[in-house]
Amino acid sequence: MIVGKLKPIEEIVSSVSEFKNILILSCGSCVTVCLSGGDREAQALGREIIQDKYHKQDPPTIKLDTIQRQCERDLIKTFLEIPPGTDAILSTACGAGVQTLAETFEHLPVIPALNTTFLGALDEPGVWREKCQGCGDCVLTQTAGICPVSRCAKRIFNGPCGGSSRGKCEIDSEVDCAWQLIIDRLKTLGRLDDYEKISPPKDWSSDRSGGPRKTERAANDYFR
Amino acid sequence: MSFFQVNNKCNGCLACVQNCPATALSYRDQGEKRKLLHNMTRCARCGNCWRVCPQDAVEFQHLLSGGWDDVATMDLLRCVVCGEPLYTMDFSYTLSEKLDKDVENLCPLHRKTRAMDTWKRVSPEKTKPEEAEK
Repeated sequence: MIVGKLKPIEEIVSSVSEFKNILILSCGSCVTVCLSGGDREAQALGREIIQDKYHKQDPPTIKLDTIQRQCERDLIKTFLEIPPGTDAILSTACGAGVQTLAETFEHLPVIPALNTTFLGALDEPGVWREKCQGCGDCVLTQTAGICPVSRCAKRIFNGPCGGSSRGKCEIDSEVDCAWQLIIDRLKTLGRLDDYEKISPPKDWSSDRSGGPRKTERAANDYFR
Repeated sequence: MSFFQVNNKCNGCLACVQNCPATALSYRDQGEKRKLLHNMTRCARCGNCWRVCPQDAVEFQHLLSGGWDDVATMDLLRCVVCGEPLYTMDFSYTLSEKLDKDVENLCPLHRKTRAMDTWKRVSPEKTKPEEAEK
């Protein structure tokens, strides 16, 4: 899922300081599940923003709403009702949600309350770790289901490097060495011979270096 | 009542079934009837059914803002002093079992007050009348 983190409250307050009627719009998908931009967080943010300590004049009026998925323009356009008098939307969605809102309501400022941080998974209650960087050319078949692009600090494809020590990465003793994990899993799978295969240089043209990416697909069009 | 609802414009064309990416929609032809089926546990609420329906029959708003379902009803215990709701009778039993003693039904405020009352009752000042007289 997409994992986000609420921006520092001072930054959020500063970015909405010129607005008097703010709609805080949370998203009911990824950011709800990763406890950063769902209904609960929007309510807490609303209560915090109106504190007098952040304002020299009257605090803004806050309204709250949640939509299931902020990144689908036609759903937003049809089902989201903007309260009359709203002069800005403060979105707790990921960057895709914020931009979808901005494209849909072109005359209304849309301000992000979240930093979108990574594509990750829940490892334990309350802990999400990065697992994918959307490189566009998945190598997990060759790496025993552990991604060296997102989980190795150096993104190396023939690891480990010399910075791996006792299964941990040199950047942080709490970070697992992805290549240690890959080797351990290959052993478990009885496929350690795969480790001997040298990976050729990766083609990064499907990654961000090719510019903004786009996918077109109709339902049921696979394998036709 | 299903959260997935269609209005009377639905003609059973099955465009929604064919285009649901989560296979949350299905149908059953039985005798002279076609029945449209929805499985909420599979539904991703992506809106594709609503998007593709040629009849504008999918009432998608019910999947975005539904009501609350009653799940369970239990006996509630309240603070014996002020009546503030505390927890259920079953929770109290569980707590008593784990603590191996009866739990008095008091809210945090009155639990504190009750402790102070008890303290005042048994405090050294109260137990030494000669000192209190000074």
